[in-house]
Amino acid sequence: MASSIERWHQVQQFLFQEAQLMDERRWDDWLALYTDDSEYWMPYEWGQQSATDHVSLFFEDKTLLRMRIDRLKNDLSPLEWPPARTNRHLSNVQISGDTGDRVTATAYLAFVEYRREEQRWFSSRVTWDLRAHDESFRIAAKRVDLLNCDQESGHLRFAAPM
Amino acid sequence: MSENLSELVGRGRVSRRLYTDPEIFEEEMKRIFGRAWLWLGHESQLKKPGDFFTTRMGRDRIIVARHEDGRIYAFHNRCTHRGAEVCPKKSGNTEHFECPYHAWTFRTDGSLKSVPLRKGYDAGFDERADALALEPVARVDSYRGFIFGSHAADGDDLQTYLGPDVRAAFDNFVDRSPDGTVEMAGGTTVQRYRGNWKLQIENSIDLLHPLILHHSAVDAADRVDHGGREPSIEWDTVKANGLSFNEWDELHVAALPRGHCWMGGFLTKSIDEDAEKAVMDENGWRALQAAYRDTMIAARGEERTEEILAFNRHNTIVYPNLFVNSRLAQIRILHPSAADCTEQHGYIFRRGGAPERMFEASVRMVNANNSPSSIVTSDDHEVFERIQEALAFGTSEWLDWSRGIDQERALDGSTGGAGTNEVAMRNQHRAWAEYMAAEFTAAHDMADA
Repeated sequence: MASSIERWHQVQQFLFQEAQLMDERRWDDWLALYTDDSEYWMPYEWGQQSATDHVSLFFEDKTLLRMRIDRLKNDLSPLEWPPARTNRHLSNVQISGDTGDRVTATAYLAFVEYRREEQRWFSSRVTWDLRAHDESFRIAAKRVDLLNCDQESGHLRFAAPM
Repeated sequence: MSENLSELVGRGRVSRRLYTDPEIFEEEMKRIFGRAWLWLGHESQLKKPGDFFTTRMGRDRIIVARHEDGRIYAFHNRCTHRGAEVCPKKSGNTEHFECPYHAWTFRTDGSLKSVPLRKGYDAGFDERADALALEPVARVDSYRGFIFGSHAADGDDLQTYLGPDVRAAFDNFVDRSPDGTVEMAGGTTVQRYRGNWKLQIENSIDLLHPLILHHSAVDAADRVDHGGREPSIEWDTVKANGLSFNEWDELHVAALPRGHCWMGGFLTKSIDEDAEKAVMDENGWRALQAAYRDTMIAARGEERTEEILAFNRHNTIVYPNLFVNSRLAQIRILHPSAADCTEQHGYIFRRGGAPERMFEASVRMVNANNSPSSIVTSDDHEVFERIQEALAFGTSEWLDWSRGIDQERALDGSTGGAGTNEVAMRNQHRAWAEYMAAEFTAAHDMADA
């Protein structure tokens, strides 16, 4: 196994790659980073334990993610008039578990979105469950804990995953 | 306002000011949200004395609590001393509410219990005075466990206000539980949009828009390759919007007294009717439906089960702000905060005695439909914002609501129409005009529509 700094660099480069694909709206390439049994989860509650007995902001398997990005590629939805421009700023990347085949990585994500005369930004803590794949990784699970997940006045729309 | 606001509703048309005018919004908060029976919550949130939760009535912050006398009380979350919020929590159990500012404490029926340094007050100060109790909601009542409050001291009682067709939705909501109980659980979805509250109650009975506005979502659902497996319940929820115009038109819409309405069910098209030809996984949603049906038959017998499950409606809308869906065990409520800002809160319920995964199905459906990430309702809310922006310019006053105006059918206790007839929205506007009429004095004066 690579030394810890090389491993850290390798994981971080992979996470940067995911962020870039999303910001560039290369959705098919992005989804290809996910395993067939992957889950993308953004809880509604801070510290939420389960996605099946409590509502979530996002809880999607790969089929639902594909349906979502298919729609993003389709300008029939007024949400795409115009599409959002986004920057995903990743920082504080850490490896919290590494068995060689499986890596658990965490980072802070500052998500900035500009659309229709409005700039919104969200801060969150992200956890990835990665699987070794060729010389890189595949994402088996991604959890995004939004700092204001349970904001009582609610959220405007989220078209794309963060 | 001295103007007769009811004139803003004409035959088959309404003024755009209903959606944009801040002064009209203030009047709505007084005349509609200040009088109507508004849904507060469910008795499963208040199992024992001292249990409480906080919610809203329009813009008012309200505490609902079960007192030691076993009764449910609702009062404003505002200290009678300086006006601070006395309860910062969403729910819990307490002996009293203590204001963080000067420690005035209030019992769970809202009455004032104690003030610090009592000797500093004069002889005329009486803790038992009504004016010192947390301001009560004038009337609180429940129907089948669903708690409502009204700021009007008099007017229709709750059962009369709801009427037989709306009560039937709550009856069915509870009757669909094998053991006859439902419990609110699983958290709340909150969607905020920068548009008027009426845009959502009109939209939720509008059967012309799904095929058009939700086309991108249905289109994406159509392209999904399920790989030989049973489709997910989320997929079903999205795909259900893809009925043809004729199929939407065949659904019944009923306009009821006091602005309420309901629409026929349509999710059955994708969930039930295709079940036999669809793939059915051992642990899938369709097998779960069958298991649920068996539990119901065991508890209630086949005939009664058939009767309960045959109740096929989608939304029942209780004017001005409540959506009841007995089949999905789901309730949504609107909390307007300004003429151009509204929050929609979604709640789900666990059915007592039903297979446990029925609740997971409810969670997944509300995620798909009523989370801010929903690929269905996010399009609705995007359009509401574009409407709100556009209504601010131009000079033309009126919006058209005439579709099917001469094709309405008078039925027993309601007025009906084809699915895409705008009869239910006109009925909402008529209720609005009655609430807003200058001479209007109390809710019970409102004529049945």
